[in-house]
Amino acid sequence: MDGKSLSDHAIEYGQKKGSQYVEARYIVSKDDIYIARNGSFLSIQYKQSEGMGIRVLVDGCMGFGSVDCTDRKLVEELVDSVIRTAKLGKREKPIELSDEKAVKTSWKVPVRIPFADVSREEKQGFIKELDGAIKKTAGRVIRNRIFFMNLHTSDKYIVTSQGSAVSSDLSLFSMYSIMNAGVKGASEQRMIGMGGTMGWEWLKEKDIAGMILREANNLTRTVKNATSLTLNKPVDVVVGGEVSGIMAHENVGHPSEADRIVGREGAQAGESFYKDILQGNSITDVKMGNDIVSVIDDPTLKESPGFYLYDDECVKARPRYLVKNGMLNELLLNREFARVFDTNSNASARCNSYGREPIPRMSNTFFEPGEYTVDELIEGVKHGILMKSFTEWNIDDRRFHSKYVGLEAYLIKNGEVTDTMVKRPVLELTTMGILGSIDAVSKEYESRMASCGKSDPMQPVPVSVGGPHLRMREIKVG
Amino acid sequence: MGRYDENLLKIAVDCALSSGAKEVIALLVQENEHQIRFSDSSIDVIKEWRRYYLDVFIAGGHPFGIGRKINNLTIQDPNEKKILARVPKEVNLLEQLPRSKLYLGMDKSTYGKYPSIKGLYDNRIENLWERAPELVRNTIHSATEAGARKVAGVLYFGKVRKGLLTGYGNGGVYTTSHCNATVRSFYDERSSGQSLVVTRDLSDIDRRLTHAGRRSGELAVKGAGGKEGKAGKYDLIMSPTVAANIFGSVLSGANPLSMIIGMSCLKGKMNKKIGPHEMTVFDDPLVPGGMNSRPFDSEGTPSQRTTLMDEGVFKGMIHNTSTAKLWKLVNSMKLKFWVRPKSTSNSSFGTMGMTGTDNDPRALMPAPSNYVFKPGSYGFDEMIASCSRPTIYMTSNWYTRFTNMAEGKFSTVPRDAVFLVEGGEVKGPVRNLRLKGDLLEMCGNIDAVGKDLEQVMWWEVSTPTLIPHIKVKDCTFTRARQ
Repeated sequence: MDGKSLSDHAIEYGQKKGSQYVEARYIVSKDDIYIARNGSFLSIQYKQSEGMGIRVLVDGCMGFGSVDCTDRKLVEELVDSVIRTAKLGKREKPIELSDEKAVKTSWKVPVRIPFADVSREEKQGFIKELDGAIKKTAGRVIRNRIFFMNLHTSDKYIVTSQGSAVSSDLSLFSMYSIMNAGVKGASEQRMIGMGGTMGWEWLKEKDIAGMILREANNLTRTVKNATSLTLNKPVDVVVGGEVSGIMAHENVGHPSEADRIVGREGAQAGESFYKDILQGNSITDVKMGNDIVSVIDDPTLKESPGFYLYDDECVKARPRYLVKNGMLNELLLNREFARVFDTNSNASARCNSYGREPIPRMSNTFFEPGEYTVDELIEGVKHGILMKSFTEWNIDDRRFHSKYVGLEAYLIKNGEVTDTMVKRPVLELTTMGILGSIDAVSKEYESRMASCGKSDPMQPVPVSVGGPHLRMREIKVG
Repeated sequence: MGRYDENLLKIAVDCALSSGAKEVIALLVQENEHQIRFSDSSIDVIKEWRRYYLDVFIAGGHPFGIGRKINNLTIQDPNEKKILARVPKEVNLLEQLPRSKLYLGMDKSTYGKYPSIKGLYDNRIENLWERAPELVRNTIHSATEAGARKVAGVLYFGKVRKGLLTGYGNGGVYTTSHCNATVRSFYDERSSGQSLVVTRDLSDIDRRLTHAGRRSGELAVKGAGGKEGKAGKYDLIMSPTVAANIFGSVLSGANPLSMIIGMSCLKGKMNKKIGPHEMTVFDDPLVPGGMNSRPFDSEGTPSQRTTLMDEGVFKGMIHNTSTAKLWKLVNSMKLKFWVRPKSTSNSSFGTMGMTGTDNDPRALMPAPSNYVFKPGSYGFDEMIASCSRPTIYMTSNWYTRFTNMAEGKFSTVPRDAVFLVEGGEVKGPVRNLRLKGDLLEMCGNIDAVGKDLEQVMWWEVSTPTLIPHIKVKDCTFTRARQ
């Protein structure tokens, strides 16, 4: 049986066996992977995998199972087993799903040059040329240059017992690089993630090679020139798109995930400080920052790493304003937690393979660009720091106490960026400390990609973590 | 698991060799795993995975120069027809691939016998799924009895059958069972405690799970009402969970791959003293009950224990056959020429996390088995009593990230109950601190090593680690500044 027929059969069979809700997901994934160090390939692999994930709701209990075969009998055995074990959950409070409109549709990522149409030589050649260019300009300093390139495509078919069926074709180009730079007495490491839902054309249209090369030169400058600076008083800080992107993701995106607020990630990715601020307040009553602060999670952003048009529960995707004009506005909801919050899903359900359950996730999370140019942000700073990129970062599991260590950073004096580079400035701030200090947002937007981890078993999903520049006032820099 | 067919190993190896491959490894894996996730003292979802796949690694001949052509394929739900259709194509593809400088050949010796390891499989795993939800409810109950107001966690259990055959006739088939749990209790929104169960042996699983529930509940209650911690210098007592995360980051550097890509703080430290006399650590695939214990590695090399740290001196690295040869080549000036490079039995079909799924492409690389610390002399109470200076006791941590892995500079976030210890007594819980450190400096500042080992493996620790409480002097704690 083919995957689509098998999924349809699993739905029918699961209903016959007494499941109140059944969802089947058949995914065929292809990954064409190239890993190279200093121009030599460590691994080149092409891998195709396929399988089915099944989710059931029985007596108010959730069950999930997956299998990597297309044998009808084995799939029926799995459905039987998943229903049988789900019943053992014996929940006092039954799990329910929000009511959503049934849809039958399909969507695909527009691709001009499919990965399959490009020869292996050309794919290898891109990495070799890029490495050669960096070696030529910065090889003496950047002695370790590692590239991971994955050309991923997947065909997915999701069907539910409530009448929805969505087919999709995804094409995702992802590129990660690790560069280790060293001069006498100093070393720095740089990890960059970039990606786009496009075909091979992504490389040229977005000038990926040029961007990585510029980052290599910035890294060289940083390791050679950055010096420690002691700041005894608070200063203004302008952060670049890469830094604002990780802040949007960690400080706003994660705490907005409804399953964390309810506690379902309690033993893994943790809970959310929103639980405190929502005590006795409705969502839109909570002030998070200044009026100019809006944070959006938008899966419909074309060519973005986290792009999709229907989520993994067949709900139509739309942009979600997590914070709007400084006020908390919306959470990230799948159907289970939309019901808990007595609303509708906003299509945040994602799973990264047929072997994982769909849960609330981010897609492309960013501060909404403002009206200023970056130059105008800088002009408004008398004494401060421009932090363009970061290295170490972390945040507590309620997403309130965060830390970002700068990598490429410059001293700003009298409205101008100076040549003085600051070594590893530290922003150790609470979420409210960050959002409350922002007084201006640039209109220029910088794109970055990351793999966001959550759940158990871990299921990383591609997300965009870029954004505009932000100006933060009176920050205590460590 | 009725359909496991180990004849497929020979079919795959013969097919690859007759198609022109010079070396081949076939690995046949069948996994049947279950998971119960719970939160707010109630079961959220019960999951089941059924996976059956054949990994085939193939290598070309010996050209002049370093490295050889290699290729990997995975066949899901394998059978003879699929093997005969796909393996020859992948062998032919070798021609088009560049050489991998990391592959210099596999173990060519022939082994008739492999070590036997106690406690790899407990047949009670077969029917555990029937009892598992009740075990979870009992665990929750014991946590709430200890004072927890809500309990979250995960119980993960299953059975794995692995068969290996190399082109040199090495390998065999073995079965393992596992049952791991993380229990996290909450007294209030900010006060929590965590406890782990990591075992292959199910003889005592009921008691171990309820004990974990009780322990996490007690920690949550003790952690309630914590004061804001003050940034500054403290001595630090790490629970085994924390110590496995921090010192595991040091040990991950004893891997040639980490050194090659500039991610090891141990580069250039071989035979140098980096810790105290009490710091002795092994990579041990033979330890009974170890979650990565196995009779042989992915090249069919019999498992052996490797000393990584010997009385504070960095003594050894893990290797597979290729990296052992490569290391000898790269360090030819330093290593004695008559010493034959030898694998430490750490060859593994590892992943590089490119897709983050169960189907991540696998490649042959050195990977640790179980890290095993030699027990020290301190009981936990004795360690607390030894604290003459202000000391932080961390029971759990998460989100360890590095400024620079080669330098070993990092910070990590304490999670769950954190206590201030003064004058040899636990004074009370503290909150919202962050540990900032330097891995090598912390090794050098180890002050006391506990005598009771616990096996740690959970969300933040992927390599099974048998480790006691460890006390480290002069650690820096910071906190959010605004």
